[in-house]
Amino acid sequence: MSARSLALAALLSLVLPPSGAALADQLQCRATRALLDLGNPLQMAREAVADRKELRIVAMGSSSTQGYGATNPQYAYPAQLKMRLDAALPGVAVHVFNKGVGGQDAEEEEQRMRQDVKPENAQIVVWQVGTNSAIRRTPLDKFAEKLRAGIDIGRSLGPEFVLMNLQYVPAVVALPDEEDYARVMAEVAREKNVGLFHRFEIMRAWYNDGMPYAQFVTNDGLHLNDFGQKCIGKLLAQAILEAVRPAQLTGEPKPRN
Amino acid sequence: MAGMKPVALSPSRDIRLDLFRGLALWFIFLDHVPDNIVSWLTVRNYGFSDATEIFVYISGYTAVIAYSRMLARDGWPKAAARIYRRVWQLYVAHILLFVAFTAQIAWVSIAKDTTALIEEMELLGLGQDPYRALMEAALLKFRPANLDVLPLYIVLLAFFPLILPVVVRWPRAVIVASVAFYEAACHFDWNLPGYPESKVWYFNPLAWQVVFHTGAAMAVLGPKLKWLDRWRWQISVLALVYLAFAGFIALSWHYNALERLVPQWLARQLYPIDKTNVDILRFLHFLAVAWFVRLAVPPGAPFLKWRILEPLRRCGEHSLQIFCLGTFLALSAQIVDAQFEGSILSQVIVSFAGIVIMSAAAYGASWYKGEADQTVSL
Repeated sequence: MSARSLALAALLSLVLPPSGAALADQLQCRATRALLDLGNPLQMAREAVADRKELRIVAMGSSSTQGYGATNPQYAYPAQLKMRLDAALPGVAVHVFNKGVGGQDAEEEEQRMRQDVKPENAQIVVWQVGTNSAIRRTPLDKFAEKLRAGIDIGRSLGPEFVLMNLQYVPAVVALPDEEDYARVMAEVAREKNVGLFHRFEIMRAWYNDGMPYAQFVTNDGLHLNDFGQKCIGKLLAQAILEAVRPAQLTGEPKPRN
Repeated sequence: MAGMKPVALSPSRDIRLDLFRGLALWFIFLDHVPDNIVSWLTVRNYGFSDATEIFVYISGYTAVIAYSRMLARDGWPKAAARIYRRVWQLYVAHILLFVAFTAQIAWVSIAKDTTALIEEMELLGLGQDPYRALMEAALLKFRPANLDVLPLYIVLLAFFPLILPVVVRWPRAVIVASVAFYEAACHFDWNLPGYPESKVWYFNPLAWQVVFHTGAAMAVLGPKLKWLDRWRWQISVLALVYLAFAGFIALSWHYNALERLVPQWLARQLYPIDKTNVDILRFLHFLAVAWFVRLAVPPGAPFLKWRILEPLRRCGEHSLQIFCLGTFLALSAQIVDAQFEGSILSQVIVSFAGIVIMSAAAYGASWYKGEADQTVSL
């Protein structure tokens, strides 16, 4: 075989579609109820929704929050969260303030917690964190310390916290100790009595159910794509709604005036 | 030193560039339609690199071909002025595309009497602070969805007057300097500022310059690359092994059974495969593909002139117009697709229709320009 025909064969092998395109049966965006339990009643948010018809959320975090990897910033989970909450809570003014800065870790976010949370008068801070700390191999005790410090600063300004843990993607799964970072986040959430959105476990369940990475991760192996972002936004909205939806929606309707 | 004398490049048009740039434009269009089944045909599913590398590399290559003769004939000031005329054309095209892109969203929303699309497609910042966003768009700092390739090209070409006189004399030195700068940009996290403040350039020009300048240097080296052929077999085997490896990893993103075969230690080395800073894995993948293209497709290969490939060549000849049109049409395709809830049939039809429109436009541009005009365009 000449070098030329070898090269042609190599080129051809590049353009032949793989058998049985995986697109055929895409799996659904889903999570079990247990995984959507934030473990916190979000009392302030519930009261704000019921009494003032208002819900203000700060989305603090890194590239997932900023929306890197989505083809449109509107697909990033904070914008999706707002769309879902708007639809589910008619008459309630929902605000989601996006404070995502790509590449930052727990320490950098802790440092800007005060300036980014203070002006928004929010009831909830969703803090998406952990991935960059894990990738940079921040020592676990230092990571925990920054989480506690960030939560303390944020809560001193009013709002309650929901931590969002790491994304389950090739770049994170390949780390030797990514589960330790998820564990530390769960411990800190328990200790500080704040909510925890189990992004890592939710996405791991997608993968274990047979959903291919290509469906929810961009091909850098790290960031969520449109589907992943939209789905996390939808599931986070469900989790928050579980906590804050006014009781009358499930029970006795409130008399209208 | 023999290398001191600027290289005289062959005056005949290298139609390989048109063909492969046309192919890159088709791929970019197909990939920009979200969840498009037809994008299974594009290069990104079979390895690390995608059409962006092809486009940027060929842009560097053609920049040398277009301006090196001008440099030799008319001197540096004239060549630099011509490059800046081109930069201006690219800038105007980008701003026009930005306006047309936004107008398309507004038009569809108004025509369908719904603001849902504006909300869905909201170009973040434009809705909240339109004056500021327009200013930032003019400064190329605000580049909504899919509008980030041309700004990259603009920045690269804006620095090209400084590179051109060097690369025609010392192409290898340009490669070395460019790779060193790329390494530094990745290591120190250099990027240009974006808007909103926390954003950076999705295609970091300080990193992506390595693809552009390698293309430029290769255009100068051209026939001098023959020395590589002494190791033709060795390089081919290496490149083939690497392409097979990249192909396997790319397929593993689609099949979990394959993904489970990738050992942890290897995955730790691989990921993340950064696009913003054109990860070295991506660049090597592109070079491996380019190596086989070089072997398989010599400049005079008969199939290059096949009539069936003419639409590709035409698109490549008018790459700026076709790129802009493709980006605009990708949005149209997305909107039409959404109407049919992303059915596979609608994906196939909008993909095919988009390519037909792009090709028709390219033929129109050729007709307008006149068949006799053989000047090299960018």
